[in-house]
Amino acid sequence: MKGIKILFAIAVLIMALAPVGAQDVTTVTMWFGEGSTLDCWGPIMLEFNDVDPSIQLEIVPQADTWNVTRTAVAGGGGPDIVRTPGPSFVYEMAQAGLILPMDSFSESMGWGDFFFDWALDLGLVDGQLYSLSDELETLVMYYNVEVFEENGWTPPDTMDELNALAAEVEAAGLTVFSHGNASWRPTNEHFVGEYWTQVAGPRKVYQALSGEIPWTDESLVEAIELLDAHMQAGWYGGGVDLYFTNDGVYRRTSLAEGSAAMNIEGSWAIRGTVEYFGESGMTWDWVPVPSHDGTDYYTIGMGNTSSINANSPHPEAAAQFLTWYFSPATQGKMLTNCLKGPAPVAIGEDVMAELDPRIARLYAELSDASANDRYGYTTWTFWPPKSDVYIYEEVERVWTGEITAMEYSEGLQELFAEELAAGDIPPIPTR
Amino acid sequence: MAVLTQQKPTTMIEKINDETWRRRFLRNVLVPWIFIAPLLLLHIYVVTIPAVQGIYMSMTDWKGVGQNANFIGLDNYRELFFEDESFGKALGNNIIWMIFFLTVPFILALFAATMLSQIKRGGMLYRSILFIPYVLASVVTITIWKNLLNPQRGIGAALDNMLGLEDAFGIAYLGRSETALMSIAFIDNWHFWGFLMILFLAAMQAIPPVLYDAAKIDGANRWDEFRHVTLPGIRPVVLFMFMMVAIWSFLAFDYIFLSTQGGPGGASEVIATLLYKSAFFRFEAGYGAAMGVIISIFAGFIIMIFVTLRRRGWDI
Repeated sequence: MKGIKILFAIAVLIMALAPVGAQDVTTVTMWFGEGSTLDCWGPIMLEFNDVDPSIQLEIVPQADTWNVTRTAVAGGGGPDIVRTPGPSFVYEMAQAGLILPMDSFSESMGWGDFFFDWALDLGLVDGQLYSLSDELETLVMYYNVEVFEENGWTPPDTMDELNALAAEVEAAGLTVFSHGNASWRPTNEHFVGEYWTQVAGPRKVYQALSGEIPWTDESLVEAIELLDAHMQAGWYGGGVDLYFTNDGVYRRTSLAEGSAAMNIEGSWAIRGTVEYFGESGMTWDWVPVPSHDGTDYYTIGMGNTSSINANSPHPEAAAQFLTWYFSPATQGKMLTNCLKGPAPVAIGEDVMAELDPRIARLYAELSDASANDRYGYTTWTFWPPKSDVYIYEEVERVWTGEITAMEYSEGLQELFAEELAAGDIPPIPTR
Repeated sequence: MAVLTQQKPTTMIEKINDETWRRRFLRNVLVPWIFIAPLLLLHIYVVTIPAVQGIYMSMTDWKGVGQNANFIGLDNYRELFFEDESFGKALGNNIIWMIFFLTVPFILALFAATMLSQIKRGGMLYRSILFIPYVLASVVTITIWKNLLNPQRGIGAALDNMLGLEDAFGIAYLGRSETALMSIAFIDNWHFWGFLMILFLAAMQAIPPVLYDAAKIDGANRWDEFRHVTLPGIRPVVLFMFMMVAIWSFLAFDYIFLSTQGGPGGASEVIATLLYKSAFFRFEAGYGAAMGVIISIFAGFIIMIFVTLRRRGWDI
């Protein structure tokens, strides 16, 4: 009898205590790609769990995260925080009612205080805020400092200077740009977007994106022709066919070891650049991608976005995590510790001072360019999905001589017009 | 004798009242269905219903996200066959792929199996060596061959160095429009043909040795033996594999996607890679579903040919 009483007392105690724990802690889930990025980002993100013990973040590693996430979310499940590869993907999910509008959270939690205005606008779908952009990106021209010094070269500012320099680089037996798309075929679009911006100018690109002028505009076609000419000249990886077989390791090693002089690549490549140059013992630096008129233009892109799942049982808690994650303090820590491209938020000068001056200069220049009308557009952020795939797939047919730059542009215009008419264009910051 | 003269039940009521009929019905009809029911239900749930949904989706403009799918009839099929150049090109590549896999691996496998069937000692070692590529994951095989075919550090570059040549063998096999598809087919075949060889070898070993003895007595040489004994003996296996390989040719995806993703410039694009890009990159899931239906129709057509041949008395 005594034993039964003790058991009863324990049972009552457990029943009394259990709901306290269950009710007090809300778990916010986030799915994240496996690998080295998570290894560095994960521990910092989990520091959120110390901020407010009543909300705990759970990171679930997933292979092929985006496809797994959208399948789960479409089926009524998935994580509380929905990460997508960019604003154009948000549009489709918002239209389908799979993610929540976050305007009320933005207002109550003061997101406008630390996000740049244009950055919050990127998350708008039909006037409502559905996503927060992360990983601010741009493309720059990296170069090997020792190679330039040994040959007495200076980094080019204009396309004409680049032309002259490329001739000297080739004469020295080096590859102009260490490039290839064997590891990531959409690499092609980096150059298409960059040439449009640097040759035709960002204003022309904006007009085309807004539907004011067609993609067959003379200056835009000229940009594609120039890219093709550079490709045919073997600037990119040593030749068109080699470009198609050069992988990521080649891209990094050939620049870091000095067999290539330069490399037009994204700010996301800084981490790899630091690593490979560290191994080779040589020095890297960067300059803006040369433009037609010598102006320093920076194309702006977003690596991914975060939204709240419409099926999340606790969207408020998810919004609180987003507020903490996108805060300048957290973003600054991830930038300094992991060299993560920061979200488009105002990061303090004290954080920037801790960075390698070359990296700090890159983000400072990017910020200055975005404030002074010197920004352009990356294709994966501002083009609708079908046009985006067309841009990087079909340009290969230009390079292999199957179609002309004009035919390529006509094909894009046809597809883009369809998507524009259907309202599938992601939000474009007005100029 | 009473049993012999008992009349068989004819109406349903008579049948139900008849003990023998009830037992037979239970044993021959009900019990098999009860045993097969779980599998049948599972099949309906994971194959039949999704297949029917897939056919319906192929007639919609579904984007692959959410529930919005407008019925557009046969528009996707019309676009595929009359407007989409890339689909025509991909279909052509699938046909080239099929022709390659219905010839090269079959010839290699038949030759190797014939040679191996005559080895008395150490045959298992050769079989294992030739079969090993088949058990490698496609991503491993592709990684190995991408390095071997690399124009700067691959076999071709090594050969050029050895022979003092320049860019004779060290070319970008996967980077040239004219060689990309065949290079991937070569890699896939490297992994696949050992499997065919093992199947043919097993079939050859099932042929009664007396047939070869009889052929020898009739004065047959090795070629005659192969033509008149071996080939007829393994014909059902060869023809069955012909059907399977023809179907698999329309499902080719992993080797192509892992090596070139259909490039350069669509030179190695096949229907399955195009389908994947449409559904997952371009948000055209309905259009992708239409391609999937077409692949299924091709497979059905190939099966129909073989069923017809079997009905006409072919030993398949």
